[in-house]
Amino acid sequence: MSAPLLDGIRVLTLEQVHALPWGTAFLADLGAQVIRIESVAHLQDRKAGPFPNGKAGPEWWNEGANLAYFGTRNKQSLCLDVTKPAGKEVFLKLVEKCDIVTDNFRPGTMRRLGFDHESLAQVNPRIISLSSTAYGHTGPWSRAGSRARTIDSVCGMSYLTGFEGGPSVRASNNYMDHSTGNNVAYALLLALYRRKRTGKGMRIDLSMQETGVSCIGPAILEAQRGMGRPRLGCSHLWKAPHNVYPCAGSDRWITIAVASDAEWGALKQAMGAPAWAQDARYDSARSRWEHRHELDSKLAEWTATQDDKTLARSLQAQGVCAGAVMTAADLVSDAHLKQREFIQTIERAGGQRPYAGRPFRIPGVSMAIRHAADLGEHNESVLRDLAGLSRDDINALAAEGVIAQQPRAEERAP
Amino acid sequence: MSGDAVMEGILGGIKVLELAQAPSGAFCAKLLADQGAQTIKVEPPGWGDPSRNEPPFVGGEPHPDRSTTFLALNTNKRGISLDLEQAAGRSLLLKLVSESDVVVESFAPGYLEHLGLGYDALRSVNPGVILVSITYFGQNGPYANYKGDDLIAQAMGGYLYAVTGPADKPPMGTALQQMELTGGRNGVIAVMAALLQRDGTGEGTHIDVSVMEAAIATPSMLIQSYGYLGRNPRRGAGDKFVMDGMHLPTRDGEVSLTTAGTGGRPMEVWSEFLGEPRLLDPKFGTRQSRNDNWEELRDLVAPKLSQWNNLDLMRETMARGLVIGLVQSPEQVASSPHLAERGYFVELDHPEVGALKYPGPGFFIDGVNPMQAGRAAPRLGEHNVEIYCDRLGLSTDELSRLRAARTI
Repeated sequence: MSAPLLDGIRVLTLEQVHALPWGTAFLADLGAQVIRIESVAHLQDRKAGPFPNGKAGPEWWNEGANLAYFGTRNKQSLCLDVTKPAGKEVFLKLVEKCDIVTDNFRPGTMRRLGFDHESLAQVNPRIISLSSTAYGHTGPWSRAGSRARTIDSVCGMSYLTGFEGGPSVRASNNYMDHSTGNNVAYALLLALYRRKRTGKGMRIDLSMQETGVSCIGPAILEAQRGMGRPRLGCSHLWKAPHNVYPCAGSDRWITIAVASDAEWGALKQAMGAPAWAQDARYDSARSRWEHRHELDSKLAEWTATQDDKTLARSLQAQGVCAGAVMTAADLVSDAHLKQREFIQTIERAGGQRPYAGRPFRIPGVSMAIRHAADLGEHNESVLRDLAGLSRDDINALAAEGVIAQQPRAEERAP
Repeated sequence: MSGDAVMEGILGGIKVLELAQAPSGAFCAKLLADQGAQTIKVEPPGWGDPSRNEPPFVGGEPHPDRSTTFLALNTNKRGISLDLEQAAGRSLLLKLVSESDVVVESFAPGYLEHLGLGYDALRSVNPGVILVSITYFGQNGPYANYKGDDLIAQAMGGYLYAVTGPADKPPMGTALQQMELTGGRNGVIAVMAALLQRDGTGEGTHIDVSVMEAAIATPSMLIQSYGYLGRNPRRGAGDKFVMDGMHLPTRDGEVSLTTAGTGGRPMEVWSEFLGEPRLLDPKFGTRQSRNDNWEELRDLVAPKLSQWNNLDLMRETMARGLVIGLVQSPEQVASSPHLAERGYFVELDHPEVGALKYPGPGFFIDGVNPMQAGRAAPRLGEHNVEIYCDRLGLSTDELSRLRAARTI
């Protein structure tokens, strides 16, 4: 068993909510020592749940699913108040020993704390810093905050999303967190790659909005030439039939996507060559697209009485591109994902909890959740082994409330 | 100093071959190419990458070099044509592989093996090569040979059921091939990990990326929530969130509000900002009561917001620390003063479509946009002479023969 890929790489991260923790979790999976700095004054992430059966237990601060899946996934937790002078001193000691410092505060906060890139580079000239913010550190909107859903709006994604002829709709509550987190991981791995060759640290200014805009490239090009892109729901700009169709049961659906005359022929066969489908209007792709609404309603009549998964399997066997609309429960018991060992489980909060693995496999590289850190779980080991503090120093920090392993007495359960 | 090193491209020493037939692979290779990797897109002679036929086209009429999808997914690549079904084509490919670091492909599983170009064959000419296979369902399992597209991946990945659109309508779907892109974004993370691993071992590897699995991981908590709560996450959970997500009209567009930045007093703060004291009514006092009375709340908030212009609203809410989401059109994004000041877009010229601004990667290094301003998407076979003659040393006669045999 060789050492983990990022063995020896150390990351200090001042992170909250979703996008940045999602990104640093990739480095933690790959074996970097990712130390998440937490504060008992800001326990929102530990209050966010979801908790087992929706109920926060007696040790709620260590029970949330978000924490296990990305918040402290394979990371270490150092609960350290960096706003206190003693905490700041410890933080800067750690910076000396680390490779990467990341934050997702609004621009200006790191400077106020004394942790802007220039200050970090004085302590450690090889430091890579990454700041993940809504709109970046420069420009007229740099001071504005965001949620993933507001980024969905402001990057243009929501405008492009909706039913045909209908209003704009937010594409997702957290797709932009997820894309930003993936971009964080890419940027940090690029930075490590570059530093290996140049020996130099660097400052990375990563923007959620800009990550969002990079998801709609074609529409940005079209906009510059006055080409509007219609909202189409599950329809397609040229494929037809291409939509979601009802199946037997409550809220069960199938998607069918016909991309060629051959696939249309296969679908006709699968339907038993009904008379309506022989209409010459459906013979060419362009004409099918022009008559897509009537095609959709005819197809829907045919699918409505059938079982979604059985029909999808049968259509695929006959060369038609189709897929059942799966729920989380469907996925957890899906034979394909089982065979690929994609759905994994961890023992957490008193039960076996399924989770989705990473969507890529690199032979010999495990991306599994090995551990999810409790609040302040690594206070002692990090301060002793990395910052070089003595037992007395550590006890003094605990007595002064600079480090902690539990919420304050007055903290309310979520 | 460091800015110059960025401008040369972080991946300047890396050579990438892209054999992508799907947007996921093309996007993965584009992300590498934009960071300076010397990327060659290998396309079948005659028709090329299918996304060349993807509408819409700049200028309106179908043209293989004017598809906006193709243009957006293939920046900073060189392009050659090569028929892998011919033995001569395969031997040329292996020559290119022997001097490549990364090969990105998105053929159906087994197709490259069938041609004698599977990972073992590539490794035998280059033990350090990293092969990235991005497919809809991965390299093995019962669905491996299923047909797919972005919608199918949304459906089978649980995204379609759970994420976009209102609760009382059929699943809506998300625009512009986001599952493909998410597959590509996960792909580059894996490539970077493999490149760092190769630094230590000298060994390449074969990476298996599944777009369906990328779709499952994309709503992040789909499976986790189910495991903790025992119920299926379902679309439309926020349909009634007037103060936290609903699209509301402004004078020149739409906006969504949030309760962020209100110090836990959302109705007091928004009542004051909008000049609408009726928002202080206790029936809007909690999240639950706001949902219960959402139509009434919307009818109070909407008329006030409709008095604002988007950019004024952004400026004034920002000054007060409030968080909103302007629903911007792509035109507004492309002409955004904020993005212009940041230098986000990179202008690339193209002989068929002219100069256009392309989205950058979304991060700046030492204040510099690291996206290479090298070249717009290649025309089919544009770099045949450069790659086959200048790099592989073929004579112009040999090139002519390959052309005549439709190998290239």
